[in-house]
Amino acid sequence: MELQLGLALPPPPLIPIETFDLNSYGNYETREALGSNALSWPLLKLGRADNDINNIHHHNSSSSSSSSSSGGGAGCKKRSFDEAPFFDEKRNVPKTLHLLLWTNQPNDEDDDPSNVLHENSSSAIFKNDGEGLVGWPPVKTWRKKVHHQIPNGGAENNRLPAVENGIGGRASKSTYVKVKMEGVPIARKIDLSVHHSFEGLTNTLMRMFGISDGNRKIFKLTYQDREGDWLLAEDVPW
Amino acid sequence: MNYFPDEVLEHVFDFITSHKDRNSVSLVCKSWHKIERYSRQRVFIGNCYSISPERLIARFPGLKSLTLKGKPHFADFNLVPHDWGGFVYPWIKALAKSRIGLEELRLKRMVVSDESLELLSKSFVNFKSLVLVSCEGFTTDGLAAIAANCRFLRELDLQENEVDDHRGHWLSCFPESCTSLISLNFACLRGEVNLGALERLVSRSPNLKSLRLNRAVPLDTLQKLLMRAPQLVDLGIGSYVHDPFSEVYNKLKIAIQRCKSIRSLSGFLEVAPHCMSAIYPICGNLTFLNLSYAPGLHGNKLMKLIQHCRKLQRLWILDCIGDKGLGVVALTCKELQELRVFPSDPFGAGNAAVTEEGLVLVSAGCPKLNSLLYFCQQMTNAALITVAKNCPNFIRFRLCILDPIKPDPVTNQPLDEGFGAIVQSCKGLKRLSLSGLLTDQVFLYIGMYAEQLEMLSIAFAADSDKGMLYVLNGCKKLRKLEIRDCPFGDAALLEDVGKYETMRSLWMSSCEVTLGGCKSVAEKMPSLNVEIIDECEQMEFNLDDKQKVDKMYLYRTLVGHRKDAPEYVSIL
Repeated sequence: MELQLGLALPPPPLIPIETFDLNSYGNYETREALGSNALSWPLLKLGRADNDINNIHHHNSSSSSSSSSSGGGAGCKKRSFDEAPFFDEKRNVPKTLHLLLWTNQPNDEDDDPSNVLHENSSSAIFKNDGEGLVGWPPVKTWRKKVHHQIPNGGAENNRLPAVENGIGGRASKSTYVKVKMEGVPIARKIDLSVHHSFEGLTNTLMRMFGISDGNRKIFKLTYQDREGDWLLAEDVPW
Repeated sequence: MNYFPDEVLEHVFDFITSHKDRNSVSLVCKSWHKIERYSRQRVFIGNCYSISPERLIARFPGLKSLTLKGKPHFADFNLVPHDWGGFVYPWIKALAKSRIGLEELRLKRMVVSDESLELLSKSFVNFKSLVLVSCEGFTTDGLAAIAANCRFLRELDLQENEVDDHRGHWLSCFPESCTSLISLNFACLRGEVNLGALERLVSRSPNLKSLRLNRAVPLDTLQKLLMRAPQLVDLGIGSYVHDPFSEVYNKLKIAIQRCKSIRSLSGFLEVAPHCMSAIYPICGNLTFLNLSYAPGLHGNKLMKLIQHCRKLQRLWILDCIGDKGLGVVALTCKELQELRVFPSDPFGAGNAAVTEEGLVLVSAGCPKLNSLLYFCQQMTNAALITVAKNCPNFIRFRLCILDPIKPDPVTNQPLDEGFGAIVQSCKGLKRLSLSGLLTDQVFLYIGMYAEQLEMLSIAFAADSDKGMLYVLNGCKKLRKLEIRDCPFGDAALLEDVGKYETMRSLWMSSCEVTLGGCKSVAEKMPSLNVEIIDECEQMEFNLDDKQKVDKMYLYRTLVGHRKDAPEYVSIL
């Protein structure tokens, strides 16, 4: 998917304009429940409005970006369309919204009366380095890395360092993982690297979620692999 | 003209501590210049390429404390390639060879190798303080050398550095005889630390006032550390994850209550939000609270915490606080001077974010507000005008609307009037960052009113060269100007090249300036280094003067072209 390739290039800002189809960026993720840890996935969060909400997308999807953004980014979160009734209107981003080409007078935007809505969707364009605007928003790289906790399971963990390697050659050795417990809106983050065994990991997780020893056996830790299947974590050698 | 012997003048100069003032003093006459330079102990160099270490050493033989800054500010946002420059090694090498008794080194955005750290640790007997901010290039091995060799180390402060963590035993390298630590900050390290060594180190450091831990320090260690160091003034909590019914948590509550001196709290790199009540006892005395690394803390738990912090002067927070949470800040934190709201989801759809409403609430409730960094979803002119009226004391005003050319969503107008109100009202404004939809008009206002402005950051703004010209002509005190993605070209760049000698630096990327224009500046101003950063090597194949330059960085210098530039940087 071109979006992935974009991540690997050191990009002059103008290049992405050609590879982007602005129409496919009319949609973007909303949060899950408000109470949830609202950190987004570190990479792409694009997705078409007509995708099945319940599908979890993978950024390994092979569809090209020019005609669709199905498969969205690195594991798009589930979206709740109830929360974003204005989504449909954003689907058609006008081609004049050349935010990356400043030669278009910014005032052009004003000519389109539906621009106010579209302006919101333009934020979907300003994604990670390599696929949209480099260096926007102006958040310190270090801070972004702190925020980019890997959202779900070990599989993401494997992918992320490889992708980050593509960006400027700096590998992120981030081993943080987001863990969500069924029925609890707030997810927790945990650093896999400070644990040395599945036991240790489980202990910490039980503590974090306040599960007493007696109740431990009821819970199972699962993770999502590249194919999107949910597998038992304990089956994986540490 | 001297009516006093040199010693008296020297004594008088001792009271002059600001760099600016001492620089002024040294310009009065030859005799004052001489006295000043021999008595100068602290030197600040805002651009490490503006002067050479040899000349520095020659002028200030009594140097004890050196502050150096390397890469341009936009390097923070990945706009400057990795190996562009800013190496500290030549400085340390030169200082080591000299007879300078260096005691303090503060570096920002520089490349620091383990070799540099080792040389540093072995060369200066009285070395006391190392502060590294946004640096890179070193590993924990370099830290081990500092720990092992600097016998009188008082301060090791690592802020937001990229450190290759070998998970070694650098903390264990502090010898038993080291009891002088006042400040230890290793929050940015990602690896494990030897917890036993940490506990012992803290136990034998009775002067320890500031301790910032990394993520790998669990709660039970924190509790033990606090028991040993109740005199702490500044605490950075690493991991704050635990079971609220555990013994450890109870012990922690007791330990925290003993720490009556804590005025500054940060960290929470890992947090279980339901256990914040243990912190409440110290909240009432806090003047600085930094929760910007703790996305897990939001909603009611966060608001409850803030409600305890009545004396807060500086607050760093994530935008998941929401406008409502900012309302709580406005009601509670009447002493607030500095507010920083960071995006918890920089590329996101912005449900959790803040808007102009939150800012207006804070401006109304916190009249002492003078420093702002605010990432938000949207902003209106009306809100900015209100904020300008409520808070005329802004020194720093940095607004980042996540969508960089978003107009006022209510009126669909550019934000010229809003920012215009800010610069007109805040007569002491020194630093300004703009965003949102902006035309040349806002720059007219800035040129007209921002008389004290020293640093200006512009992105995706303006319609023509006029914008840049208004600023260059109007802002007499401008020192740093950084511009990206604006339609400013050669006409603006070349209008007044002499101006750049009065400034520290100018950055322009993705603008309209051409190679020819840059060459022209370089030709007319030999006291400037004009660097063209060309990662894609477009310039190699096309040396046409009409070619647009992707990134240009120019700065004044006394020492000509630097010799350590990588291949893709041409200095014209």
